[in-house]
Amino acid sequence: MEFFFQQLTNGLAIGGIYALVALGYTMVYGVLKLINFAHGDLFTLGAYLGFTLLTTFTFQEKIGPLPTIFIFGIIIMGLVGIAGIVLERVAYRPLRSADRLAAVVSALGASIVISNSIMLIYGARFQVYPHDLLPQITLSIFGMKVPFLRIAILFLSIVLMVILYLFIQKTKIGTAIRATAIDHGAARLMGIDVNKIISIVFFIGPALGGAAGFMVGLYYGELNFMMGWVYGLKAFIAAVIGGIGNIPGAMLGGLLLGVIESLGAAYISTAWKDAIAFFVLIIILIVRPTGILGERVADKI
Amino acid sequence: MFKKVVGLVVMFSLCLFTLAFAKSTIKIGLMCPQTGNWASEGLEMKRIVTLLAEQINNKGGVLGKKIEIIDEDDGGDPRTAALAANKLVTRGIVAVIGTYGSSVTEATQNIFNENKIIQIANGSTAIRLTEKGYKYFFRTAPRDDQQGKVAAKAIKKFGFKKVAILHDNTTYSKGLAEETKHNLEQMGGFEIVFFDALTPGERDYTTVLTKLKAAKPDVVFFSGYYPEAGILLKQKKEMGWDVPFIGGDATNNPDLVKIAGVEAAKGFYFLSPPVPQDLDTPEAKAFLKAYKEKYNELPGSVWAVLSGDALLAIVKAIEGTKSTDPDKMANFLHYKLKDMPGLTGKISFDEKGDRVGDLYRVYMVDENGNFVIQP
Repeated sequence: MEFFFQQLTNGLAIGGIYALVALGYTMVYGVLKLINFAHGDLFTLGAYLGFTLLTTFTFQEKIGPLPTIFIFGIIIMGLVGIAGIVLERVAYRPLRSADRLAAVVSALGASIVISNSIMLIYGARFQVYPHDLLPQITLSIFGMKVPFLRIAILFLSIVLMVILYLFIQKTKIGTAIRATAIDHGAARLMGIDVNKIISIVFFIGPALGGAAGFMVGLYYGELNFMMGWVYGLKAFIAAVIGGIGNIPGAMLGGLLLGVIESLGAAYISTAWKDAIAFFVLIIILIVRPTGILGERVADKI
Repeated sequence: MFKKVVGLVVMFSLCLFTLAFAKSTIKIGLMCPQTGNWASEGLEMKRIVTLLAEQINNKGGVLGKKIEIIDEDDGGDPRTAALAANKLVTRGIVAVIGTYGSSVTEATQNIFNENKIIQIANGSTAIRLTEKGYKYFFRTAPRDDQQGKVAAKAIKKFGFKKVAILHDNTTYSKGLAEETKHNLEQMGGFEIVFFDALTPGERDYTTVLTKLKAAKPDVVFFSGYYPEAGILLKQKKEMGWDVPFIGGDATNNPDLVKIAGVEAAKGFYFLSPPVPQDLDTPEAKAFLKAYKEKYNELPGSVWAVLSGDALLAIVKAIEGTKSTDPDKMANFLHYKLKDMPGLTGKISFDEKGDRVGDLYRVYMVDENGNFVIQP
């Protein structure tokens, strides 16, 4: 039983990161019906920006590590958010009226540009975050040893997601985003500035991805310019499983993928872990093609 | 009209010039991972080979011609490597050095062999590579059957009884894991409590570690590469689990300590041919000194030093046969090259292309992150 719960916590922690990254995919898809393949690389950008900030500014001695991380986190979210807006302006807006396929190719191209730029700037070798920034406390819950940081990451991910959900549901801008996601034309008729809304979405989604990147860098310590590829792919799949375009769906999909991966590895075989996880997900999609929380888009008459 | 004539003459002489220029160098290819997970290996390989080539050229080159090193990036990935190999094959090289990572080398063997280009691999220890009968393939790295034996002996010497074996499904890693298991079973008295693989390239191995812990081994033998080994050590420490880990020769790289952190890497054992600072031939010492002068640090990886040995062997073969004919060179390397003094010791190849000699030692990481050879 202890083994099961230990693996469950492992899976939830991994899934929390997938969920945060999946949110970016799902928001962009909801509003633009476009899979932003460059999202994984914005995640990588967040991790590397965190590395630069931590190695150039060393005022953790003055303030202490936790406030520094908090401040840097906000800065990184802002910077990656701006990168997201730039990405949208450069790679997607000009193609808004073109064929869907053109935008997909543009997204893939943007992904390659960003990941290679990171490689050229930071070098092809691994970079490592400074050690000993965060307290390495291990809590003992029900006899299991759980590093405090894992719980912190999961907790933070959930908090960010709840804030996002409330923002989308309860604020005026959130309502405007939901309106734009349903139909651009109708939203314009209601007086919504669609371009501005899209830019806002491209700020929030990548900001969350960047935050996830920063957390991954802090927790796992090791960066390389291709790290976004695996996370991006899995987060995209998590978003689809939960129902693409649906925010709670992305969160659910991410957590579910993390847990299935962990339990599959634990009880069947670690070598086949990915195959098992994706096999289960294929089954889920066959049973519910729109994803678990996916909504049926109303047909136009 | 006049302009046209001048233009033609200029073009013609340029062509002659470049042709003449081209003829006067001997091109040797270098295929190494300059990007990807193993970029630190590729970087050192390139440095060592270019420095050695410079030294040889300064002494007059080979057969009166200068050596030109043409390098391509294999990305640490079989597909990229196949592309790189195809590119190199069109550049007129007489031989190629490379590469690190048995699965990557394996993807290129056929391409080079079909084009009759001598290939000397420096960081590929999987047994399969020399069992295919490729006449033009050699390696300066030792082989995993030797490593498996040394691994089993080391485990026995430490007195461990319950052994967990973890690999990463690549050609090299799986082969080494199976060799070690085979040797342990033959020696008898051991219980293999775990034999499975992890997925390389990921960041979170807590699931695997939790599963390993539940199997309650006395020791874990990890036959994969240094990026994953570093993460395993780091996360194992975070879990508060302190069972000793032994690594295969691909865990040998200074980046291991960088990734895991000195605290977590302390007490980690691994097998390897002697690391650069323990090489004691006079050639090695002189070369390391020159390397340090040029790059301000010693090379961290013995695999990169083995690529230097590969270059030395190629040069010796060209001088020995007074030609760059692949069949003559292959013949020379198989049968006539005996005990050539190289950076890592005496170099000879057997009929399969393997390096003759017994190279593996056991190392431990001490509390300062240094690699210390064990008796």
